[in-house]
Amino acid sequence: MITVEHLSKKFGNFSVLKDINAEIKKGEVISIIGPSGTGKSTFLRCLNLLEQPSGGHIVIDGEDILKKGVNVPKLRQKMGMVFQSFNLYEHLTVMGNVTLGPIKLRGQGKKEAEEKAAELLRMVGLSEKADSYPDELSGGQKQRVAIARCLAMEPEIILFDEPTSALDPTMISEVLAVIRRLAKNGMTMAIVTHEMDFARDVSTRVFYMDEGFIYEEGSPKDIFESPQKEKTRAFIQRLRILKHEIGSQHFDLYKLNADIEAFCAKHTIDKSIVGNILLIAEETLVNMLLPLKKEGQIISLALEYAEKRGEFQMVLGYPGEVYNPMLDEGGDNLALMIVKKKTKNIQHSYSNGINQLLISM
Amino acid sequence: MSGKRIWNKAILLVAASMMIVSILTACRGGAEAPVTPQAKTMDDVAKGRVGVLLGTVYDTYLQKNYPNAQVLQYKNYPDLILAVQSEKVDSGFINCQAFKELQKENPFLVTLVTDVFTNPVGVGFNQENDALREEFNAFLAGIKSDGVYDDWYQRWIKNGNYAMPVIENPKNNGKLVVGIVSDKGYPFTVLENNKLVGSDIEIIERFGAYLKKEVVFSDMEFGGLIAAVSTNKVEMIVSTIMITDERKKQVDFSDPYFELSACVMGAKKESETARKEAPSFFQGVADSFYNNIIAENRYLLIVDGIKTTGVISVFAILFGTLLGALICFMRMSRQWLAQGVAKIYISVIRGIPVLVLLMLIFYVVFARVDVNPVVAAILAFGVNFAAYVSEMFRASIESIDKGQTEAGIAGGFTKAQTFIYIVMPQAIRRVLPVYKGELITLVKMTSIVGYIAVQDLTKASDIIRSRTFDAFFPLIMTAVLYFCISWLLLWLLDMAEQKTALKRSASKTNG
Repeated sequence: MITVEHLSKKFGNFSVLKDINAEIKKGEVISIIGPSGTGKSTFLRCLNLLEQPSGGHIVIDGEDILKKGVNVPKLRQKMGMVFQSFNLYEHLTVMGNVTLGPIKLRGQGKKEAEEKAAELLRMVGLSEKADSYPDELSGGQKQRVAIARCLAMEPEIILFDEPTSALDPTMISEVLAVIRRLAKNGMTMAIVTHEMDFARDVSTRVFYMDEGFIYEEGSPKDIFESPQKEKTRAFIQRLRILKHEIGSQHFDLYKLNADIEAFCAKHTIDKSIVGNILLIAEETLVNMLLPLKKEGQIISLALEYAEKRGEFQMVLGYPGEVYNPMLDEGGDNLALMIVKKKTKNIQHSYSNGINQLLISM
Repeated sequence: MSGKRIWNKAILLVAASMMIVSILTACRGGAEAPVTPQAKTMDDVAKGRVGVLLGTVYDTYLQKNYPNAQVLQYKNYPDLILAVQSEKVDSGFINCQAFKELQKENPFLVTLVTDVFTNPVGVGFNQENDALREEFNAFLAGIKSDGVYDDWYQRWIKNGNYAMPVIENPKNNGKLVVGIVSDKGYPFTVLENNKLVGSDIEIIERFGAYLKKEVVFSDMEFGGLIAAVSTNKVEMIVSTIMITDERKKQVDFSDPYFELSACVMGAKKESETARKEAPSFFQGVADSFYNNIIAENRYLLIVDGIKTTGVISVFAILFGTLLGALICFMRMSRQWLAQGVAKIYISVIRGIPVLVLLMLIFYVVFARVDVNPVVAAILAFGVNFAAYVSEMFRASIESIDKGQTEAGIAGGFTKAQTFIYIVMPQAIRRVLPVYKGELITLVKMTSIVGYIAVQDLTKASDIIRSRTFDAFFPLIMTAVLYFCISWLLLWLLDMAEQKTALKRSASKTNG
């Protein structure tokens, strides 16, 4: 239905979208996720040309809509859009909001449009509010009216631009429920969202956007359970990472400890866990790796905190020959015992001359 | 539904205003006049504050001979007399002929100095219109030789007999447009029973008959006469104009048709005035009402004035609003040329006083075009109104959340449809309060159209004042009438506003 090729968008010299290639088929529900400022909304707004793309092609039903002479307003009538800030027409009642498009653009009679609107309002659960003005509604109600307003135009696809980001938590579910219902009825939708559980449940495909393009895409299962790329993984697991590099034999252990403590404090980690982390860092570095380190080599330490699961992982990288200190029976046994006792699992891998030690806690 | 209530309210308002008028009118008699020494020579006069009429020779005379005198300028005789009476000035310059008349109606006026100087009086012509001037001089020589002039002089100037003679005029030779000042006063030009009479009027009518032309009077401020004739708005100007070197640079004068002498007037000291028994409150109001409104059918003047003010206001508002919308559109356009033109328009027009703009449009822009001054006034006020409201429109349109436009565009509306169905209804609701204020300002601003010979409400009240010399009642009546016109316009606008307003209250009460 929609094919996007090499789409790019620049604001001045700043490149927001670099090279987007994607396809949306009829009946699909696409969730677009990713960190803030990576162009998710811009991508969505390019699809109905609210933003004029700087390059590339958008082909809808075989027609390149970026060509001159395309009747863009006519095209947009087939693409509904739901905004983060609702954007209901402030001067019209709920009924007026839902019927304005059908009456003015589709030439429907007032009565016909109102009957259809009443049906849609019933569908989104707002029959009672037909005569209210937008400023008399709650956020969730406004967003449901906005969805009804889109549906009144009988669109072929609806674009949702962070539909729940401006809502307080108690109202999010009422809006999501309506979108779920649309998905069940087979409506084609593209949804920019930060609601990961919702995206996982409702979508048929997920685009993870980062750095101005679709960094990784796949089924919800692929993206949420086994993301292939590092950034996707970091985002999905909501990883918080502390990185440290050790270049000298006599490095500042106290500085490292202080950094770890500050990092943990920032994420309100329990004191006893902090103690464990400090202990493991000290034992592995000082007693296992540093003695073997040669001049000029650098040991890297990354502490990852998966906020979602509340799990810690320490990744140690060090150059040299294949070496797993955890198998080293001849080393400092006391240190090894302490580390093994305090960790769940330790994995070792080696590639390109670098050892990697994955310590899960 | 609430029409009846609104009218009741209106009647109440007018009644209340009338009460205020009455109280103010009745109370003024009680003002104590401070005692000042009465001047007897010009040297004494020059020591105090001297009032003169704007654009007259008295000012020049004073500057030349008494450069240290404190001179205050007034627009017309009623204002000057009011100033003398209320001691805003210690003395006032006036021509002796008019003063004789004024003294009859204002017994508190006294002569301080008589015949300070004399000055010849002539009729002004456009400098390129020698033919008409020659004809007038021939006409003047004619009536001087056959005794008509002597008769005229005896009647008007010497004896103060104001009966206008009947002058035969076949009127088969086109029109003669003459600039006059209708409230110049006796014996020169006054409006009596809504007909122009006076020495100047007789001269003009006789000259018209001499040419067999129908005379068309164009009534204006004295200060506007010379501009009017030099831009050919009128063919000649007759208003007892003293011939001076300065004026000769602008217009050509006929031979003098009499000599005007200058007098200095003052107000009688309180002790000298046998204070009249103050009439009862209601008697005072009734007298003022009769003199200013009923006598000589003066209400006709007021009705005409209201009509003119109303016409100018309504059409200037319509024209100005449309033009303002256009300027606003250009100002918000992305095209640099349109935007630049709009920016310049707004800053230039807002930088010019509306009176100057009015005169510029009438005397400069339409210098060579015969345009009805009412049309010129509508244009001037409309142009001015547009400059202000265009910025209001812009501010209110820009205050509408961008999301509204985006929702419309994303919903499949074109830019124009989005504006008409979504942005404009909201912008109108926001602009109305300030727009109403600007609208009232415009209505009040039209009171200056007298400068281009339009007889509006203010001018009508000036004319009445020039006849009755009752400063308070006409002024306050005018104030009340302006208030009523503004109020009526706002009421009409409110009716329109109810159509754009949210029907929220209705839906609340019903449901």
